[in-house]
Amino acid sequence: MRTRLASALLLAAVLIAWEAWCRSGRVSALVLPAPSAVAGTLWGELASGRLWPHLRVTMTEMVLGLLAGTVLGLGAGILLSEWPSLHRVLRPYVLASQLVPKLALGPLLILWFGFGLTPIVVITALICFFPLFENTLTGLDQVEPAQRELFRMLGAGRVRTLLRLKLPSALPVILAGFRVAIVLALVGAVVGEFVGGRQGLGASIIAAQSVMDSSLILALFVVITALGMAVYEAARGLEALILRRYARD
Amino acid sequence: MPSDAHLILDGVRYRFPGDPLETVAGVDWAIPRGAIHCLLGRSGCGKTTLLKLAAGLIVPDEGRVRIDGKPLRGPAPGVGVVFQAPTLLAWLSALDNVLLPVSLKRRPQAPDRAAARDLLAAMGLGDLAERRPAALSGGQQSRVAMARALVTEPGLLLLDEPFAALDALTREELQDDLLRLCASRGTAALFVTHDIAEAAYLGDRVGVMAAGRLVHDGAVPLPRPRPPGIRYDPAFGAVCRSLRAIMDGAAPAIGRAA
Ligand SMILES: Nc1ncnc2c1ncn2[C@@H]1O[C@H](COP(=O)(O)OP(=O)(O)OP(=O)(O)O)[C@@H](O)[C@H]1O
Ligand SMILES: [Mg+2]
Repeated sequence: MRTRLASALLLAAVLIAWEAWCRSGRVSALVLPAPSAVAGTLWGELASGRLWPHLRVTMTEMVLGLLAGTVLGLGAGILLSEWPSLHRVLRPYVLASQLVPKLALGPLLILWFGFGLTPIVVITALICFFPLFENTLTGLDQVEPAQRELFRMLGAGRVRTLLRLKLPSALPVILAGFRVAIVLALVGAVVGEFVGGRQGLGASIIAAQSVMDSSLILALFVVITALGMAVYEAARGLEALILRRYARD
Repeated sequence: MPSDAHLILDGVRYRFPGDPLETVAGVDWAIPRGAIHCLLGRSGCGKTTLLKLAAGLIVPDEGRVRIDGKPLRGPAPGVGVVFQAPTLLAWLSALDNVLLPVSLKRRPQAPDRAAARDLLAAMGLGDLAERRPAALSGGQQSRVAMARALVTEPGLLLLDEPFAALDALTREELQDDLLRLCASRGTAALFVTHDIAEAAYLGDRVGVMAAGRLVHDGAVPLPRPRPPGIRYDPAFGAVCRSLRAIMDGAAPAIGRAA
């Protein structure tokens, strides 16, 4: 509670200082709009309903990309952990695919899929893939050898061992990867829109930049940050719920 | 060696990859149906390795393991194992941990649950069936692991120091429970321990292992059933002393100098 109050006071102090600095007239509103102006713009965007379609587009990209990246990352992690020889063959390629700056793929993806949702969902999925893949692989390989022996002794086959032992014990690590992926999904969606979006919060930032509306840019920042925090907290809640069922210790 | 024994180890040798010395260096052993054999030995002499060979978890480099006459090629089905560490699944309740051998095969039914609860009660854990392992003491966890090994009513039990984490009183109670269960079900057991009195109390025979070899294998000259009070009997003391003398005479404890 104390710390919350302190961080709220800090925010208030920064905003007041910022407002005063802007009102003193030493900085052009074009360069740095006052917080009150940003709030006004934000309210205008919300009340007029102009913001909602963009928010919906960005969230759709984010969710679709996150889902695709999660399914692929989890699947690939499971596959390569079950077949270590495959892992050794594919590892350099997986790594290379992650080292390619994915935004640089944007123009290519737009050529392939055209402008719109698809290239951005693909970029987001590519970004979300890696944390899930790595954490799934790490988590599955960390299962206690003694417990594997127990399952061997109990005659559990591969699938059963995966479902009843490996995945449950890897769950906390996998969920940590998912949390990272969620944050990256928002970044992926917004920045993906910079490159190839027609709609969405990122695309709106580019549009605002082209008319030098810095107040709108800042208002969009606020929306994006709020969205990120909301999604992160939701993920944490989901994680706590799942872990309570599969509590580790 | 009786060829109709339940578990037969026949010239079994095993060396861990990269280890210059054999961890199990030629062991012959036979456990008849329903008999309880104890394996004594100092830390690091290869007891756990021998137990895993008997379980089929590792395959001998030389020699053979047979259960019910059939040579073992993989983990032996129908053998209950209690590992040295409890190896409970943290996300399951004590009851579900006990039911694991069943639930890996099929959906547990009401009679399975009842049997598991009875076993937990016999282990003195009747009230803790719904607890997760993290909320159990170390000794309670070992008892859950013991109940898990018993739930399928195996004909052969392999136990690796199952009572090492228990206080003397609980340990003696559980020794009696084990004897009772084995006698009523006709279960054979290979019981690894480094406690001489425990081996003398439980075993029909006691083997002493040192540096990968069985340096002694003899019958325990005590009657069955053994009342708990037998522990204070001079005859019991004599058995313990002779086992102690054999262990003292065996290879050194530290390192595995041949
Ligand atoms: N996985 C392994 N790889 C290599 N060496 C091993 C492995 N497991 C055990 N050993 C070695 O084999 C020897 C016997 O180990 P084992 O676990 O059978 O001993 P133990 O008699 O059960 O000892 P304790 O009473 O301490 O449990 C030890 O020297 C140990 O270092
Ligand atoms: Mg051991």
